[in-house]
Amino acid sequence: MISFLILISTVVCFSAILALALNFQWGLGGMVNFGMAGLYALGTYSCALLMLKGGANTFFATLGAMAIVAAACGVIALVTLRVTEEDYFAIVTLGVGEMLRLVALNEDWLTKGALGLTGIPRPLGDVIAPEYYQYFLLGLSVALLAGTVWFLNVIARSPFGRIMRALREDDVVAATLGKHVLWARVRIFAIGGAIIGLAGSLHGFYYQYIDPTQFSNIVIAYAFMAVIAGGRGAHQGVIWGAAVVMVLLEGSRFMKDLIPVLDSDQLAAIRIIIIGIGLILLLVFRPQGFMREYRLQVNFK
Amino acid sequence: MKKLTRRKVLKRLGAAAALPIAAPFLNLAHAQGASIPIGVALPFTGNAGAYGPDMAEAAKRTAAKINSAGGILGGRKLELFIEDSESSASVAANLSQKFINVHKCQALVGYWGTPEGMSSRPIAVQNKVVLMVSSAANAITEGDTQGYVWRFQMKATDWGIVIGRAVQRLGFKNIGIMGLQNAFVLPIMKTVEDQMKTAGRTVTGSLIYNPEQPSYRAEVERIFGKKPEAVCCFGLLPDFVSIMKEVYRGGFDSKVIALSIMADAEGKFIEAVGPQVAEGIRHFQPMPDTSAPGYKKFLKLMGAPDDRVYLFPPNTHDQIAVVAMAMEKAKSPMAVDWSKQIIPVCNGPGQNIDDVVDALKLIRAGKPVNFSGAGSTCDFTPNGDQLGRGMGHWIIQGGKNVFVEYAKP
Repeated sequence: MISFLILISTVVCFSAILALALNFQWGLGGMVNFGMAGLYALGTYSCALLMLKGGANTFFATLGAMAIVAAACGVIALVTLRVTEEDYFAIVTLGVGEMLRLVALNEDWLTKGALGLTGIPRPLGDVIAPEYYQYFLLGLSVALLAGTVWFLNVIARSPFGRIMRALREDDVVAATLGKHVLWARVRIFAIGGAIIGLAGSLHGFYYQYIDPTQFSNIVIAYAFMAVIAGGRGAHQGVIWGAAVVMVLLEGSRFMKDLIPVLDSDQLAAIRIIIIGIGLILLLVFRPQGFMREYRLQVNFK
Repeated sequence: MKKLTRRKVLKRLGAAAALPIAAPFLNLAHAQGASIPIGVALPFTGNAGAYGPDMAEAAKRTAAKINSAGGILGGRKLELFIEDSESSASVAANLSQKFINVHKCQALVGYWGTPEGMSSRPIAVQNKVVLMVSSAANAITEGDTQGYVWRFQMKATDWGIVIGRAVQRLGFKNIGIMGLQNAFVLPIMKTVEDQMKTAGRTVTGSLIYNPEQPSYRAEVERIFGKKPEAVCCFGLLPDFVSIMKEVYRGGFDSKVIALSIMADAEGKFIEAVGPQVAEGIRHFQPMPDTSAPGYKKFLKLMGAPDDRVYLFPPNTHDQIAVVAMAMEKAKSPMAVDWSKQIIPVCNGPGQNIDDVVDALKLIRAGKPVNFSGAGSTCDFTPNGDQLGRGMGHWIIQGGKNVFVEYAKP
């Protein structure tokens, strides 16, 4: 059981990192990203291919994946926002995400298509004994999650963080105050992209096998669920959001052991209903999410 | 309304999270008893959701049959943990981890579909646990599986051999081929295409299409537009439904050859498109030899009528039976030991036998057996590919599936 909890906690960590990326782009910066699934796939595939075909080690492959997704996100934001408005940007992300997924599915020479990539190397995989590896991977994921939160908190409290919130609330006001709206948005989206690349790399390390079916649009739904449940803009809250989504998804499997009258196929249907009800209840009783966005407060006595 | 502080929220969250996490502990005494846990991952939801319930029923009835005859290894009972794989690779991988780490299973069975099998394969090999899949893609058993991965299904290239031969016998001079971008479809397409070319027939066109498109008009135009005598289409139910609607709308009259998971899918295809569109479609699928005594016994076990054709549940039955027999023969519940006994009990040499309870008796008496199951004769190559399973061939006439023949590769 402990092993299973450790493995699920690892999944929570990289789901949380992915949700943090969305929280950064959408929660703080106001840029909707419906292409998460495709960009996540880009990160995972880049990391895996840099190792399998490029011969890079896991560290440089992860950095490479972060750079590739960041560059892709930067280009998407630059090309789109130069000529259109935010509403169209959401549509473009959706299209690009789908495009990336189709490339992964169809370019056999590169991604092995529907068959997927097997035998993805893991960080220090040949140094650490397999029976202890899961502890190491959890430790690594927790450290990276903590690092990501720290980094995002620093940005959120910096002048750039204030520009982000200003853009989210009203970009015309920000422009009037002399802020370069396009350049700021490109940076927001690219930084979020780098974090998506990090989450994608961890996904590959964890599963060691990737195929295009793992990057269906449900990935976007889970990320949005985590952000909304956690509280838009609140980084620590989003971690709780990701954990709750995961506990609902995986924990509900154990209901069968608690309630023996439930049949496996009934449970399969009931699980999805329970997850839905859980989220509805959450939004009814806590519409602003678990935590609130950071606000600078000064006490005058 | 009471004020919600962060601490209160955290407390409540903690309590909510503790319930599902504590659940398995409450059940621990149960799992650690004398029973032998077996993990069963089946699709109850997702694109293969139609097949899970019957496979689960087969697994339960087979385990109950073995248990009521005294279990294995001196009276230990089989205990099944049946879970929904959601027809998804990542869910199947998480389930395999749950089976191995929470329930301490040494046998993972079920695993309908290639992505499910592929994602669980490294986990099974790393943990030295046997994985028995119902997936067709060649890659499942390729490379070094260390004797832990066993396919209870025909290999995809063998599907192609049977279908290609039937297409030639039906006398089609030229055909078009279209297939879903999917790991089990591509080897079938390639085999059919190669066979047609070696036989001197023409392939007018061949294309691979993507899943989940709202329309397949362009693809249909490209393949059917060349007016081949027949079109072989390989994929899954949802894409085939849209393809056949386009074909009907476009008024194309090429004969259509498909798989039963597309053109039958437990009756769902005809329900979706109506008998007019479905008329004349021929479909193929690996199936049990319905005349085999092992299959007839399986029908009795399921309480089904004599003419019922089950495609996948007999394999689930065989998986559970083989696990039980191999454990009994190895006198050990550990996969490192009993995985080596799978070939001896399935391939023989020994007394031919098709009933798992009788086979267990013989094994206990120290006699060699050669087991034939409900889904096939249960013979394997050393790398885990199943031999001796054949394919059924049906044609849809007047909204009904009419059985044509049964053929082996």
